[in-house]
Amino acid sequence: MDVTPPKDLKELFTGFLAIGARSFGGVMPWAHRTMVEERRWLTQADFAETIGLCQFLPGPNIGNASIVLGKRWFGVAGSIVAFLGLMALPFIWVMALGVLYLEWASDPVVRAVVTGVGATGAGLFMGTALKLGRALVNRPAALVLVAVCFLSVGVGRISMLIVLPVSAAIGIFFARRGWL
Amino acid sequence: MILADLALTFGVLSLIAFGGMPAVMPEMQRLVVEVKAWTTPAEFIQLFAIAQAAPGPNVLICSLIGWRAAGLPGAIVALLAVCAPAAVLSWWVADLWERFKESPWRIAIQRAIAPLVVGLTLSGGFVLCTPSTPDWRLWTIAAASATAFLTLKINPLWILAAGGSVGAFLL
Repeated sequence: MDVTPPKDLKELFTGFLAIGARSFGGVMPWAHRTMVEERRWLTQADFAETIGLCQFLPGPNIGNASIVLGKRWFGVAGSIVAFLGLMALPFIWVMALGVLYLEWASDPVVRAVVTGVGATGAGLFMGTALKLGRALVNRPAALVLVAVCFLSVGVGRISMLIVLPVSAAIGIFFARRGWL
Repeated sequence: MILADLALTFGVLSLIAFGGMPAVMPEMQRLVVEVKAWTTPAEFIQLFAIAQAAPGPNVLICSLIGWRAAGLPGAIVALLAVCAPAAVLSWWVADLWERFKESPWRIAIQRAIAPLVVGLTLSGGFVLCTPSTPDWRLWTIAAASATAFLTLKINPLWILAAGGSVGAFLL
């Protein structure tokens, strides 16, 4: 497949603007559609590898992807332009919705609907976790780590600043022994 | 000063958000609601709902929290703070990561982090639908949503819409 990376900062900006503006229900599918299918900035494999790296790094995945891709094409300026393009419209949408919500927050029905959406979003996170967890079901050591994280952070409400370093150290120990 | 406090809090969250925003929600909720009291537990889930329903990255929940804590400047500071440290790290690591592709340490780190992301993302969902005292209605909605997500191949926006309608009757 022929790829044509963005030729200038303007094209980079409008591309990321298009991703942010349309990304109802999750950004990744729209990032794929815009960059791989419509604008052909990079190949499918390249996209998957970049996203894989950004999912591994801490921080917002798609935010990191805008930094990494912007850097690849135009250096620091590219990173900044891609990031701003990505966030500009969603920031306005979410603030507008926030203001609108505050106007109506005293209405019990509105509050119930919004809380229902929140619980649904929480369920989507759990669904995502279970989907990712399917790859680990045959590895008892991995399941132990999943349970430790869930019980300490989710149920026990212990700070991740404590749990993360400890469980990462155990994880790396397990992985070096070939248990993961 | 509250803007500095927002910057520091969300800056720390940025660097521990392995697996993205879902995995760092437990710590965000703990800091924002329990430690700093920028929002109530009930308001936290509502701000999360708004960020999920609006188009765009789910990291925008941070600007809503910043906005409730310190207005528009708070919204901008919180968003930049949660993105910048991770962005700087991505900037440096992207090339390094490629160079160590075959390194046994890179492989070990990747394998170690996968189960943590699963456990923490699960925690994120659990914490969000358990605002203060356990509420079976929120758990039911969350369980139904997770099931729908895993079995139906539809845009998650439809699941959110259905959950909101159920909420109108149940909550």
